[in-house]
Amino acid sequence: MNSVGEGCTELKREYDQCFNRWFAEKFLKGDRSGDPCTEMFKKYQLCVQKAIKDKDIPIDGVEFMGPNKEKPES
Amino acid sequence: MRTPDRGASAKFPPFVIGCAGESRIAQSDEVVCVRNRQKLSGHFLRMCAFLHHVIGTPNVERETTVQRYPWETVIKAAMRKYPNPMNPSVVGVDVLDRNLDTHGRLHSHRLLSTEWGLPGIVRAILGTNRTLTYIKEHSIVDPDEKKMELCSTNITLTNLVSVDERLVYRPHPENPDVTVLTQEAIITVKGVSLSSYLEGLMALTMSANARKGWDAIEWIIQNSEREKVPLCDLC
Repeated sequence: MNSVGEGCTELKREYDQCFNRWFAEKFLKGDRSGDPCTEMFKKYQLCVQKAIKDKDIPIDGVEFMGPNKEKPES
Repeated sequence: MRTPDRGASAKFPPFVIGCAGESRIAQSDEVVCVRNRQKLSGHFLRMCAFLHHVIGTPNVERETTVQRYPWETVIKAAMRKYPNPMNPSVVGVDVLDRNLDTHGRLHSHRLLSTEWGLPGIVRAILGTNRTLTYIKEHSIVDPDEKKMELCSTNITLTNLVSVDERLVYRPHPENPDVTVLTQEAIITVKGVSLSSYLEGLMALTMSANARKGWDAIEWIIQNSEREKVPLCDLC
């Protein structure tokens, strides 16, 4: 599965693999010891947040689009 | 949620939409369609019923189905639901935030992008080159109570239509090898132009949670080897 930001897909895959392993083998088994994926997540996030900004994805608000409207400035 | 008013000309009482602690109140110019609620005038009710049918959301306000896998197996699959052949329109998934709350529940906030694949002529009519719609999803996994709740809503085309969907996975109370899924969707329609209907219809046919929600989960469970993180302890 790709990331919303094309350049972030590899970082996303590394993080997902780490998370899925932790989720299945630790979290669901009641092991609350630390999350080993935080560094990976940070790198991945930096990439994604930039892609969201570049693509004007309205993650915090609403977007108005209609047949006669221009794409609004953010 | 309140009992709706009758009468198309009456002002609608506040109607709360949303779940997992994030709710919003429908604005007075929104037309809310909750199947079987009879909240709308005939025209909008028919359109909403049609849209529910097209995107395969439950025929009743809340639909409950079961699947013969234990809850943990289902949850592991649900966290890795995309890609799967039952939801081909989902083209991108990202985790925006993830954290544990004070009760030990895991919260995940995700962004999904779905691709319409509209033909050029339709895009020309709609006046937009944008064919991607975005959905935000909030999930909460409670490993002690064994409950996973997912709420999603579109964040584009919101001036035309809102699709709020909620899924809850729990073990069957009488059989721990079986999981129960409760699913509901609320469609809120705004605007009355033909192009609004068309855009709304397109967005809804690409709903990330298609009718065959269980087919997608089952596919993931059966294909878990490809990611080298087996879902079930017997694999």
